[in-house]
Amino acid sequence: MNKMRLLKDLRKVTVLLVLSLFIAPPAFADPGNADNGHAIYLKKCWWCHGKEGEADGPGSKFMIPPPRNFAEGIYKYKTSPPANEIVRDEDIFNMISDGMPGTSMPPWKDVLKKQERWDLVAFIKNKLTDMFEDEPNPPSIDYSKKIVSSPESIEKGMKAFDAAKCWECHGRAGKGDTMKKLKEDTKHRVWPRNFTKPWTFRGGYTAESIFSRVTAGIPNTPMISFAAPETGNGKLSEEDRWHVTNYVMSLADPDRQTKEGQIVVKGAPLASLPADENAEEWNAIAGTAFFLVPQMIKKDRFFIPSNDLISVKAAFTDKDIAFLIEIDDRTKSIAGDAIAAAIAWDGLTPDALAIQTPVVIPTTSKKPYFGHGDGSNAVSMLYWNSGSVEKQNVSKMLKTTGTGAREESDSAAAGFTTSASYKDGTWKVMMKRSLTTPNTESDTQFEVGKYIPIAFANWDGSNGEVGPKHTLTTWRWLLLKPETGSQVVTFPLGVFLVLVVGQFMFGAFLRKNRE
Amino acid sequence: MKAFLKPLLVILVCYLLLKIGVPLVGSILHPGTWPVIPTGVMKMYVFFIVTGVLLMSTFSDEGYDALVGPIVDLYTNPAKAMLKLVTVVLVGALGAYITYQYVKPTFDAPVELRSIHPAPPSSIKAFGKRFSLQKLKNPFRVEDKEQLAKSAEEGGIVYYKNCYFCHGDKMLGKGPFWEGFNPVPANFVNIGTIAQLTESFVFWRIATGGPGLPSEGTPWISAMPVWHELITEEETWKVILFLYEYTGHNPRVTKEHH
Repeated sequence: MNKMRLLKDLRKVTVLLVLSLFIAPPAFADPGNADNGHAIYLKKCWWCHGKEGEADGPGSKFMIPPPRNFAEGIYKYKTSPPANEIVRDEDIFNMISDGMPGTSMPPWKDVLKKQERWDLVAFIKNKLTDMFEDEPNPPSIDYSKKIVSSPESIEKGMKAFDAAKCWECHGRAGKGDTMKKLKEDTKHRVWPRNFTKPWTFRGGYTAESIFSRVTAGIPNTPMISFAAPETGNGKLSEEDRWHVTNYVMSLADPDRQTKEGQIVVKGAPLASLPADENAEEWNAIAGTAFFLVPQMIKKDRFFIPSNDLISVKAAFTDKDIAFLIEIDDRTKSIAGDAIAAAIAWDGLTPDALAIQTPVVIPTTSKKPYFGHGDGSNAVSMLYWNSGSVEKQNVSKMLKTTGTGAREESDSAAAGFTTSASYKDGTWKVMMKRSLTTPNTESDTQFEVGKYIPIAFANWDGSNGEVGPKHTLTTWRWLLLKPETGSQVVTFPLGVFLVLVVGQFMFGAFLRKNRE
Repeated sequence: MKAFLKPLLVILVCYLLLKIGVPLVGSILHPGTWPVIPTGVMKMYVFFIVTGVLLMSTFSDEGYDALVGPIVDLYTNPAKAMLKLVTVVLVGALGAYITYQYVKPTFDAPVELRSIHPAPPSSIKAFGKRFSLQKLKNPFRVEDKEQLAKSAEEGGIVYYKNCYFCHGDKMLGKGPFWEGFNPVPANFVNIGTIAQLTESFVFWRIATGGPGLPSEGTPWISAMPVWHELITEEETWKVILFLYEYTGHNPRVTKEHH
């Protein structure tokens, strides 16, 4: 009898053992080798994070956000519950594997094997700091009550977003146009996420990731944990946090992303140009988005831009050409403005924009040097800035033949005018001038149907961007696409008719012949 | 019907011989290539083939009837009115399509071919002096392993203060700002870049940057800075050493002339 019982028990134990294999937490699955991790760290990571993990590597001074300080052990993107300050192994593993979009941290899974990444986790979490010594790997935030997105959920999320005052930092339209000056680690500048750009979400763009940020906050930044068992004090219930997540995801606008290979601004032929930057006619014209890169080519080199994208539309008539430029800029920087000055970093100067085209449209693939042209190839510049409290919207036309070699051109003769407005974290600037000007030595003479090199520059006046410190694009193309002639329809139609009629006549001729 | 299909078949076989057969022979003679016949020449060949086949098959009265008979039948036989209508519309549509291909406006961006490794000049001016590239060697490439590693690490520090923004942490040409550049930043891991070059060539490309490209170095729009204005000669050599040490590539070595 006893023997039977023992056998039964053994069977139970076996079943439990087998079951436990399936439900074992992944933390046990991939123990890393810290020594091996150290060797990889000294080859790949220390350049930014520092040899002792103190975020003081040679690259660390040139990036915002700064590299993580592993010695301090404070992690921004963690999925352990808010009350638990310990980062999960999986969080570090995922950051190494997938990188952090919009920052200097690249994904490493293409060059480091899975085991090597776990080795790094073991080294970084346990050897560069003693904060997590003997602490168990915390559990994940509970995602089991996830609410699938729906119009109702988004509506509720919008109300919760409003009630919890998320807009104070993230802006009414969710473009991160903060009303406060925000700091990270009490010293570095930090800008709130622009929800319309899902490709810049540091922790990846999933509902779980966004829910984790709302729930656990982003430690050491002004993004607090919004988790509270009871609502009140501006905190959010678990249900509301899922609604807010769905609302945030509903704001994504992937159309505004730069498309690979898209390098041409196609001007639309119109009978008359839109009246200003907010005119409805612009909505019907497709825009082209370009990445902005900081000017790191000449002194003074600039590495920490705040704006990352410029969207351009163009329209033209038989006389004039107009550009509409849209830039997501978290700050409306106008010199002398007290509110703007309170948010700005590194002084306050006007926001500015420039469009650059060669004075002589090149006939070969040789173009002027993209940075202000060169001695033998001048460029023409349409320049606008937001101005000062006393005088807003300043614009001028310039001719440059290399850095610093500039002279002002006759704006009035070219009919050059600008209009601009700022709303919900976006500048819209319209620049207009005549296609041709009397000043052929210094102004581009725009031609319909020709590929014209075009480049852009932007200065965010609240980010210390002034003079050579700014963002830019290298040469792209502008094409003023002529109205397609009617022959595209009439010629093929004519051939079709001739052939059809001809064949019937041919048939009739054959029949007659046969008779 | 058979006599009608035969000329068509001959034309098809001839076309396939030119379209696939000729490149196939080429690929056997020169493995790894697929030399197609240029479109203009192809058009000419097809014209002669079609004319020749038509001439051949209409040479005799029987041949002529066999070829033309079905066509005449199609256009005159009242029993085939439906087929005739379809043929009439199809022929018309084909003509319209060909015409459209001719008259439609095309707007393709001008092709910008990137020349890889343009020939270096015999000497360059940088850091305020003149260097003869042929004799130029990396002064930090020494036998002493420890000394070499130290110089390479110093080169790495230069790299992460100056280069990684475009060329990237992983040397794959994908730094944080790589997407904004055209042409894209060079990938040093790829065997097509530094692994094929001498250190003096790399020194030239770094020291004089995009504006230092020779006239054949199209399309002259490289955003590579003129580094001799921004870093020192010593830093340039050390960063070159770092690139080779990190990627594990060996620089190309030119034979010594005695």
